Amino acid sequence: MIIRPVLLKEPSPKVMMHKTGTLLRTVFSRSWLAESIRKPALLPCAGTISRYTASSSSNSALITDRQLLYPPKYNTPREAWVETLGTLEGRKVGLIPLHPDIFAEFPRIDVIHENVKWQKLYQHVDYAHQRTRAEMPGGGRKPWPQKKTGRARHGSIRSPLFKGGGAAKGPRGPKSFFYMLDLQNRAKGLKCTLSAKFAQDDLHIVDSFESLSSPESQFLEALAAKRNWGLSVLFVDDTDFMAKNIALACRGLPSFTLMPVYGLNCFSMLKHETVVLTTRAVDKIEERLKRVDNLLRQNDPRHAR
Amino acid sequence: MAGAGPGRSVDYALTLLRRLPRITLGNLKGNKEQKKKHNYSRGQDGGSDRGYPEQAKKGSQPPLGFAGGSNPYYTRHPVEWYYRGHELRRQYPPYSLFSLQRNIDMGIIDPAYPIDLVQLCNTKLYHIDPLQRHFGVNLTEEGMHMFKAKINLEVQWTTESVIAAVERNGGTITLAYFDPACLNAMHDTRSFFARGVPIPRRALPPENCLELYSNPKMRGYLADPAAVSLARVELAQKFGYNLPDVTKDPDYEMLIKRKDPRQCFYDLEPGWVVNLKDRTILKPADEVIRQYYRS
Repeated sequence: MIIRPVLLKEPSPKVMMHKTGTLLRTVFSRSWLAESIRKPALLPCAGTISRYTASSSSNSALITDRQLLYPPKYNTPREAWVETLGTLEGRKVGLIPLHPDIFAEFPRIDVIHENVKWQKLYQHVDYAHQRTRAEMPGGGRKPWPQKKTGRARHGSIRSPLFKGGGAAKGPRGPKSFFYMLDLQNRAKGLKCTLSAKFAQDDLHIVDSFESLSSPESQFLEALAAKRNWGLSVLFVDDTDFMAKNIALACRGLPSFTLMPVYGLNCFSMLKHETVVLTTRAVDKIEERLKRVDNLLRQNDPRHAR
Repeated sequence: MAGAGPGRSVDYALTLLRRLPRITLGNLKGNKEQKKKHNYSRGQDGGSDRGYPEQAKKGSQPPLGFAGGSNPYYTRHPVEWYYRGHELRRQYPPYSLFSLQRNIDMGIIDPAYPIDLVQLCNTKLYHIDPLQRHFGVNLTEEGMHMFKAKINLEVQWTTESVIAAVERNGGTITLAYFDPACLNAMHDTRSFFARGVPIPRRALPPENCLELYSNPKMRGYLADPAAVSLARVELAQKFGYNLPDVTKDPDYEMLIKRKDPRQCFYDLEPGWVVNLKDRTILKPADEVIRQYYRS
């Protein structure tokens, strides 16, 4: 049941994301996105931005063109600014299209609620337990004779009627509340949450986390305050090896969380006021969610040919 | 924004979401939970059969419309006392000052003669039905500020403002009570006279409205005329207008014309019979009858 995050084999200048590691093992291990770890061959090439026109070497070039892997047939894409983490104010380094099926999904609050409820429940175990009369010690002897004592007839001091007796119909823990939400709703929950966050200006896109110029927590905090990102920010990248500066900066800030795309979930997005995605994370989210869409579509008998 | 088709409702929802508070873990709300299924009773007693789907098949359902229980229906619900005695209350169908002014302007009502319920009903634009416990006209304040006519008015119910509006223009107003027998004669004079019965003797007001109809402030017809004159001045001072002197008015005779408390038509006395066919008036000659109709 427990899936450990993938460890880096060779030494790397980047540091391992350690803060959300615990969270990943517990909350997100059942997520369908966790499967992405097992299929590294299908991931887009990490560390490159080949699908963007601008190169990382020149800061002046604007990121304007982005090819959607699954271009929408009927709807026009949404557009989002691409920011950079170099300075406090931030500079707009581009304007990219976002897939409307993922970032402009109908914001079904009830589906988001279902997802959050599922996330809370599937790891919940009720440990409340009470012993029955059979499990209590003693009580085998008849406390007093059946007749001629003037008292009520009883057969055991562990009867539920007795003080200190066993419980009738008490909680019989540990009880698991585990269940699996269907794939369709899990995917839809992510799409709805992303769309809602985007619609409420709580979703921002940055070129990459490597652009953060300082490892200081104060700098990142001031940056978030300057940009009205609120008190808690969720940074999402496509890999779980985060850039050094942002990893060090987030280490001292309990409400600033780093997370890879495979750990993305409704609960965390709603727990944090702002979600910050890298462009690579956007690519990967779109690719994953559209692939799930296609998979569901293939399995749907309504679309059978 | 997305074009036509399914994107439009999405756009609307997302635009709406922009102005709403941030969606957080605290304000999420799911759809209403599905209703719990019926639990079958178990054990020795097993509950009752009522409400089970099988019951319809067994045919043990009570007949449609059957109201069980030992409590009779008419005692089951609490009584609503605010309607108590509604069938006995006097009703006064409203008529506005605006309508009155309009009918005068259009020549339907002649202000040169005293205006009473008979005049209003004869316009055929205002109706009362004594059988529905209509006790006359309630003259309302609508059109009060544009009311300009100088009239001698007799109504059954009104307000202080209406009285002021009439008297400000030099007119006079009286609040008069008519019992149902008189109203029956007054609301449709032609059919009443065609019946050939004597004009009824007007009854005195019942106890619960005697105070109103003898109140000089409401220009009650049983009030002391001296007290009414004083009340006219008081009302003019209260509302702040100059009260025209009726005594110096050229239409003084018309303006102070009043009915007797036992009389329901101007110039016609109770006990008389109006013969429409011969266009004559028959007056009782017998002393006993004359004594009966005497005021």
